[in-house]
Amino acid sequence: MDKFANVGWPEMLLMALIGFLLVFLVLVLLIYIMKAMGWFFTREHKAKVAASAATPHAHDHAISDQELAAAIITALKLYKSNLHDQESEMLTINRITRAYSPWNSKIHGLTQVPEKK
Amino acid sequence: MSTLLQTGNFIIESLGTFVETSGFMAFFVGDGWKFLAMLGIACFLLYLAIKKQYEPLLLLPIAFGMLLTNLPGAEMYHAELFAGGHVHWDIFVDNAGLIDYLYLGVKLGIYPCLIFVGVGAMTDFGPLIANPKSFLLGAAAQLGIFATFLGAYALGFTPNECGSIGIIGGADGPTSIFLTARLAPELLGPIAIAAYSYMALVPVIQPPIMRALTTEKERKIKMSQLRQVSKTEKILFPVIIAIVISVLLPSAAPLVGCLMLGNLMKECGVVDRLSKTVQNELMNIVVIFLGISVGATATAASFLNAQTLFILVLGIVAFSFGSASGVVLAKIMNLFAKEGKKINPLIGSAGVSAVPMAARVSQTEGQKADPSNFLLMHAMGPNVAGVVGSAVAAGILLAFLG
Repeated sequence: MDKFANVGWPEMLLMALIGFLLVFLVLVLLIYIMKAMGWFFTREHKAKVAASAATPHAHDHAISDQELAAAIITALKLYKSNLHDQESEMLTINRITRAYSPWNSKIHGLTQVPEKK
Repeated sequence: MSTLLQTGNFIIESLGTFVETSGFMAFFVGDGWKFLAMLGIACFLLYLAIKKQYEPLLLLPIAFGMLLTNLPGAEMYHAELFAGGHVHWDIFVDNAGLIDYLYLGVKLGIYPCLIFVGVGAMTDFGPLIANPKSFLLGAAAQLGIFATFLGAYALGFTPNECGSIGIIGGADGPTSIFLTARLAPELLGPIAIAAYSYMALVPVIQPPIMRALTTEKERKIKMSQLRQVSKTEKILFPVIIAIVISVLLPSAAPLVGCLMLGNLMKECGVVDRLSKTVQNELMNIVVIFLGISVGATATAASFLNAQTLFILVLGIVAFSFGSASGVVLAKIMNLFAKEGKKINPLIGSAGVSAVPMAARVSQTEGQKADPSNFLLMHAMGPNVAGVVGSAVAAGILLAFLG
């Protein structure tokens, strides 16, 4: 016997509503789990940011080695990108090689024109 | 003389038998025209796959499976072996053709799950982990499934068929096949074709809906940059999701479990060979088997009827509802969001799965409004949430109706 023989509109509406709400609930639960995970993994970083914000004088004028290196590299990059290579305008073909192969051999070629009689 | 006459008669009789048993003759006997019509449809789908490149990786094997199953006399697929939603093992070995054996992978729910392993290995859940609120947009887009579930019932489908038709709104091919093979296997052909066709038509279907539901100002909203997600978070994510969803909804465990297994292979970084295999070789092999066997279920008897037409119409309704509800929820969320934390509603439509096509549509539409706006990564959040959401919706429907 069909187990849905007695199912009508009220049951279908209820099924759709409950189904949709369940999808929402499951995914909302996942949001909270992901937020908790995010909080757990970012808390150290946030604490560091907060600590550095609390002691601004220590870093105000100090430039770290990494920042100095980045500034030098950037300056060099900008400088070099403005330089142009001086290229010789003469183009010389130094060598032409044509490796032998039966495929390009004229002896074996099929380009012989037939004799006209 | 009489020997010659006998030989002549024998040859004529043999030729007559040959012609009568040939497939060509079958085209002109009884409902034979339906085979011709199905071959025409199969060729049209092949044209769409090859020339128009509509999801060719799946549409091509589906169309060719459809072609093979509708060759009169070839007997490659026997619907009666799977009648009533069960595999009739007692007569299977004696009667099964090539495609019957391949179809077992669909019937037993193996192929969709294996494809999900590959999908998981190709998906980056980073944007979703960085912005978990995206789960809400992924959930909202599942409204299309349940609205179409009711629409199908209004058109006279049984509750099981309604569930299978509704899942088209999830825009997730493997999930649609997984659920339909269990709830309404007789509709597998039309539903798979509708699901994959509409997935291919995402760039055509979604933009008008997105533009109609948003203002120019909303489309120009720039979203703040997502936070960096650590490797540990990316490794923990699939494990946590697999446990939570499978415990809450055991019926969704095969799909979600396989999706997360693939993702864990990708993120953990210690099984690169396995990750590459499931993304490429395994995925490709399964896609071939899945496509051919699903296409083969589209026999003339099951395809050429009013139901197929209804399914195609309901499919597009489901898809449109899903896209619209994602956009609307994003607008509602904006009502409660602080300035600077607002969501561009265009990413809401990416809540229907169709990874990554739906996210790309959000990006394209966002750039039309403001070329300096980059929404792709923001849209990937709801997009992958949609994959999880549609698997959860399939699990719920299976629990209700299975």
